[in-house]
Amino acid sequence: MRPLAIVILVIFVAAGLVLGALNADLVDYDLAFARMQLPKGAALLGAMVIGWLLGGLTAWVGVSMRQRRQRRQLRADQKSPLAP
Amino acid sequence: MNHLYVLAALIPVAFVLGWWASRQIGVRRSGAEVSELSSDYFRGLNYLLNEEQDKAIEVFLKLAEYNRDTVETHLALGNLFRRRGEVDRAIRLHQHLVSRPGLTDAMKTVALLELGEDYMRAGLLDRAEALFSDLVAMDAHAPSALRHLIAIYQHERDWHKAIEHARRLEVMTGEDEAPMIAQFYCELADRSRQHGARAEARDYLRQAFECQPDCVRAFMLTGRLLSEDGQHAEAVTAYEAAINADIAFTPDILPPLLNSYARSQQMERAEGFLRDMLGRYHGVSPVLALTHLYRQRDGERAAVDFLTAQLRLRPSVRGLMALIDATMDKIEGEARENFLILRDLTRKLLEGQAMYRCSRCGFGAKAHHWQCPSCKNWSTIRPIHGVASE
Repeated sequence: MRPLAIVILVIFVAAGLVLGALNADLVDYDLAFARMQLPKGAALLGAMVIGWLLGGLTAWVGVSMRQRRQRRQLRADQKSPLAP
Repeated sequence: MNHLYVLAALIPVAFVLGWWASRQIGVRRSGAEVSELSSDYFRGLNYLLNEEQDKAIEVFLKLAEYNRDTVETHLALGNLFRRRGEVDRAIRLHQHLVSRPGLTDAMKTVALLELGEDYMRAGLLDRAEALFSDLVAMDAHAPSALRHLIAIYQHERDWHKAIEHARRLEVMTGEDEAPMIAQFYCELADRSRQHGARAEARDYLRQAFECQPDCVRAFMLTGRLLSEDGQHAEAVTAYEAAINADIAFTPDILPPLLNSYARSQQMERAEGFLRDMLGRYHGVSPVLALTHLYRQRDGERAAVDFLTAQLRLRPSVRGLMALIDATMDKIEGEARENFLILRDLTRKLLEGQAMYRCSRCGFGAKAHHWQCPSCKNWSTIRPIHGVASE
């Protein structure tokens, strides 16, 4: 990993820890199917991680489905004419 | 409550950021693939430039398997196969390209053109002809297709069709194909002459002159026709016109011209014309012809004097051999033996020499061809000028 990326990562981890420490008070959450108490900072972090993962997953599924479709079409297209 | 709004806004923002990051990673990965492909491409190109076709084929094969929808790579491969003589592989590859669904019309016609060339190389001229005719009808790569069709008709000696397509090519490209068409008419005229259809031959020659008024071959054929008809004086005029049209063909024209001079008893005219030629033609043929003429008219001494003087001006092996032949009778004893060795040596030297060379491809020949057997160009084979030849 490049040194710049390590520095940025450290800054974000430190910022997370500071924000977590400053927002340590518990908050009630009602998700309709479950009730829970979470620290404010952890909820913030959780929302960001869930949003990030969902976005990445959507893009990945879209790209891989398109590639699979193209591959299937080509395979159905022909047998290789390059064999001697 | 405000805290919940912040959370709700944070999720879509993170979603967009995650989606964007994932796409960036995908782009970077495909970029690496592209750069790998292009490095393969340049490696293949490098092999091609170094004329290492085996290695180039290996690289392009890998490239084509990796990225099957690259039509250009397949076309390059097909071309390589054809050039290496693996015509069956080239044909299979181009046939596959033509039958591939989803190919653009432009690419399909390129593949058809290549397939036609494969058929030509394989000797399947009827299939190649059908393909090229279709391309001309579709007006796709028509000039190239027409050129191939003309080559096919030349090979089949179907001169009428060759003329028809050459005229179409002329209209399509605006290029002057008249010298080639004149040669086709000359072929027709020569064929008619051989079959005894003299009027038809004369008509073809007239059309050849219409295409190219200074066509040497048409003048030579006219001279031959007239000579065979016993019109030697007219034949002399035709042969002289042939030399005036292209003086390089003098060695081929002089023998029948001298014959026509003799038959029409115009030896003074012959001397005048040959003397005039000495000034503008630097080969040895007119010198030898004049030597022969002086020998018959003024005797051996005058002929040898003339030949010796001319050989000092234009030294040539053929001239030297004529001089040895002329002086052989006067020499006796050991000197005669030496002269015989010298004569054999010069004869062998001349026998091994190519007398004609194609000005386009450098093909060397002992006999004259109007169409180069190697590069198939017309009127490019000309007599070689040098000490050992003309």
